[in-house]
Amino acid sequence: MKKESFWDKTATRSVLASLVAILTGMVAGGLIILIVGLTNPTLGIKGAWEGIRLVAAGLFSTGRGSAGELTFGFNPTSFGNMLFRAMPLVMTGLSVALGNKAGLFNIGAPGQFLAGTAASLSVALSVPTSVLPAWLIWILAFLAGMIAGACWGAIPGLLKAFLNINEVLACIMTNWIAANLVTWFFDVSNLKNALEGTKSGYIYKTSTILNDVVIDGVSSTVGAAVPEGAQMVATRGGVATGKMGLDALFGGSQINGGILVAILIAVVIYILLSKTTLGYQLKACGANRYAARYAGIRDKRNIVLTMALAGALSAAGAALYYLSGNTEFFWNTYQSLPSEGFNGIPVALLAINNPIGVIFSAVFMSMLQICGQKLTELTAYNEYITNVIIAVIVYLSAFMLVIKMWIGKLRSGKAVKK
Amino acid sequence: MDHEQDYVIEMLHITKEFPGIKANDDITLQLRRGEIHALLGENGAGKSTLMSVLFGLYQPEAGEIRKDGKPVKITNPNDATALHIGMVHQHFKLIEVFTVLDNIILGAEDTRLGFVQRRDARKKVEELSKRYGLAVDLDAKVEDITVGMQQRVEILKMLYRENEILIFDEPTAVLTPQEITELMHIMKGLASEGKSILFISHKLNEIMEVSDRVTVLRKGRYIGTVNTAETTPSELSRMMVGHDVQLVVDKTPAKPGKTVLKVENLHVPSHLYKHDAVKGVSFEVRQGEIVCIAGIDGNGQSELVFGLSGLEKCSGGKIEINGVDITHAPIRKRSEAGISHIPEDRHKHGLVLDFSLEQNMVLQAFEEPRFQHLGFIKFGDVRKYTERLIEEYDIRSGQGPITTARSMSGGNQQKAIVAREIDRDLPLMLAVQPTRGLDVGAIENIHRQIVAQRDAGKAVLLVSLELDEVMNLSDRILVMYEGEIVGEMDPKKTTVEELGLYMAGAKRQDRQKEARA
Repeated sequence: MKKESFWDKTATRSVLASLVAILTGMVAGGLIILIVGLTNPTLGIKGAWEGIRLVAAGLFSTGRGSAGELTFGFNPTSFGNMLFRAMPLVMTGLSVALGNKAGLFNIGAPGQFLAGTAASLSVALSVPTSVLPAWLIWILAFLAGMIAGACWGAIPGLLKAFLNINEVLACIMTNWIAANLVTWFFDVSNLKNALEGTKSGYIYKTSTILNDVVIDGVSSTVGAAVPEGAQMVATRGGVATGKMGLDALFGGSQINGGILVAILIAVVIYILLSKTTLGYQLKACGANRYAARYAGIRDKRNIVLTMALAGALSAAGAALYYLSGNTEFFWNTYQSLPSEGFNGIPVALLAINNPIGVIFSAVFMSMLQICGQKLTELTAYNEYITNVIIAVIVYLSAFMLVIKMWIGKLRSGKAVKK
Repeated sequence: MDHEQDYVIEMLHITKEFPGIKANDDITLQLRRGEIHALLGENGAGKSTLMSVLFGLYQPEAGEIRKDGKPVKITNPNDATALHIGMVHQHFKLIEVFTVLDNIILGAEDTRLGFVQRRDARKKVEELSKRYGLAVDLDAKVEDITVGMQQRVEILKMLYRENEILIFDEPTAVLTPQEITELMHIMKGLASEGKSILFISHKLNEIMEVSDRVTVLRKGRYIGTVNTAETTPSELSRMMVGHDVQLVVDKTPAKPGKTVLKVENLHVPSHLYKHDAVKGVSFEVRQGEIVCIAGIDGNGQSELVFGLSGLEKCSGGKIEINGVDITHAPIRKRSEAGISHIPEDRHKHGLVLDFSLEQNMVLQAFEEPRFQHLGFIKFGDVRKYTERLIEEYDIRSGQGPITTARSMSGGNQQKAIVAREIDRDLPLMLAVQPTRGLDVGAIENIHRQIVAQRDAGKAVLLVSLELDEVMNLSDRILVMYEGEIVGEMDPKKTTVEELGLYMAGAKRQDRQKEARA
């Protein structure tokens, strides 16, 4: 029995392939910045060089110095925001990765994300804090989101298992159904932000304190400041994820304990997939549905279960994101789907469907977003250049197998020369 | 020119390595013009790899290929076609809904202004068919003709492309005895017309009958080339396996006990649910006997097994295991009731090819307490179990338990499945073509295991297309034809020829009348 060398391991090659994809994406982004810079007289070669530096290291950008030069250093706000934004991506990435492991392409993450948003927001903003303590409402809202996502995810699963309808088609359709249902649901709800006049189209933040009062016989909802003479009926809202001390580490950022929950869930999914009989079954169904059936594994049940779990994961991402207390949901969403859902696909691809890898690829993707933000803030470029980089990486992720083969060829070429 | 040295194709000192395994190690194969040259070797001996090298699918690390004495480089199958090398695959590559003529000219059709010139093609095919005695109906659709005729179509395809080197990959596996005799005759005719034939097989009697010379491979190594006239089947099998092989299964008469499997008037739908593929089949299998379902491929044997194992829902009838009705039970329940199953298609059903060997060994058993605790797989115990099976059943693989099933040779994949199913130790074993595509060594091994199961009091239902296997192994033969059992025979009292007549539908018994008598 010959032991494989480090470079011949499939895992090594997979990671290398991901790195090749990332590197190529960054190079392509750099080239675009260069071209845009050289063709734009206000930017020029100097502006292009600044752009390239920001795309590569925007995370460490601390703004501009007194002479107008770019300054770099540890920026706790950027770091915190990166981790905060990575949180929903970890969850949707896990959702897609789990589907892929079980041989199902879950492109329904945006719909599941919306289902989770609607359920967790409505629980968090509706249960009066006089009935239950806020932390318990948080947990209930989180669970409600996951359950809603699981149900939504199970629909394409059921269609696939029992009617053999392609899960990709069913997922795309359920995405848009979710977008319209959620818009309708919030349109008829009393959760639309009516306190801040400029915020039309948004739902209250979960941290908002809402007091249901009766003033002169008329019921209404007011904010934390209750007018005199109003009769209190109930207090709602004020639900937000605990900071768990992370705000001290990353001052000025939106970070909270949600990222720890996301990492914990990633570890749980990793254990589920690699150590348990359930994970074994799911992977067997994914790798060869016929052999799984032959062995008496209930393939239909597993398909539904996989999609339900994937839905719950996406929805948990939504719950973590909106229960943070500092994010607002734009409810009039019927014309667009949340990008967190779709970005789960490149996150999972880049991580080669490894749940632990998903944590890192999600952080990487949100880092690119931070870089894009810095680019807009500090230069005349706009942030969509980072979307180009993401697009190139996604594109190359799809060629992961080809890249792996190249790496393999390079290796065997060397072996022959030896 | 010295005829002895007139080689049309030479593969000299070919070496091809895969991770952890040397598939071809310094192999030399020289094919003379106008000869029938047999290539003999166990599964995993490197026959397929060698042919893939010849067709340019793999590039060898060392060695040289020569055509008519001149070195050539074959980097893809098109190069091989340009050198007039053609192959009849074990599984035919024909389009079922096309006519025979269209199948023959497909890919090499003459067109004028974009229209296919069938008239010229027809003349050419008719000529070839007459010259080589290959009777085919040019206007019939492939789906309507017999397997034997399909094979003749494949041969005509090669001749139409003016191939000089014809490779037959285990061509007799799907034929009846009568068709095999005919094929042998055709091959001899082709050789006498100057075609050079490479005949890949593991059936020694066929090799003895038809070939001029034999090249033997073993474990990726070249063992030798001998003149068929100067050798014997036992010498060939010794060369192939490395030790003496018993060609006839050594077994004592069966001592059948109580009934394990009872099937009554079973109906199973065909794959497309157009009609029933199994039409009212009744039989029993008892402890300590091997009952064999014989028949030509596609007469409902596969569907019968699907119906018994639960992979397909039965459309009527009754199945009992040890008196328990399992007609409508799900697969897992049937397995618990006592059925182990060596499936027909080891890649589709038998293995998860992208799983490791150890993961495959617990495909059914992973939920048993010995392999899991509270839903967590006991990896150490799975490893130990796999190592025991590897040892006991001589499963060879590049990296032991962690080898990916896909990278194992066909024979060792099959050994792994047989090991897994036998080790489950259940009262009834369904074995569907358990030795398909395997070599004499592996066949002997698996046959011994099956007989040992019988002697241990298991009931064995064997489905086989190989008549040698049917005659050697079974205690009772049931012949299936068009979804019905048309005859029940004692292998000691019947002949291969008689069996062939039942298989072809030319004879049938009235089993009910006999049962009454």
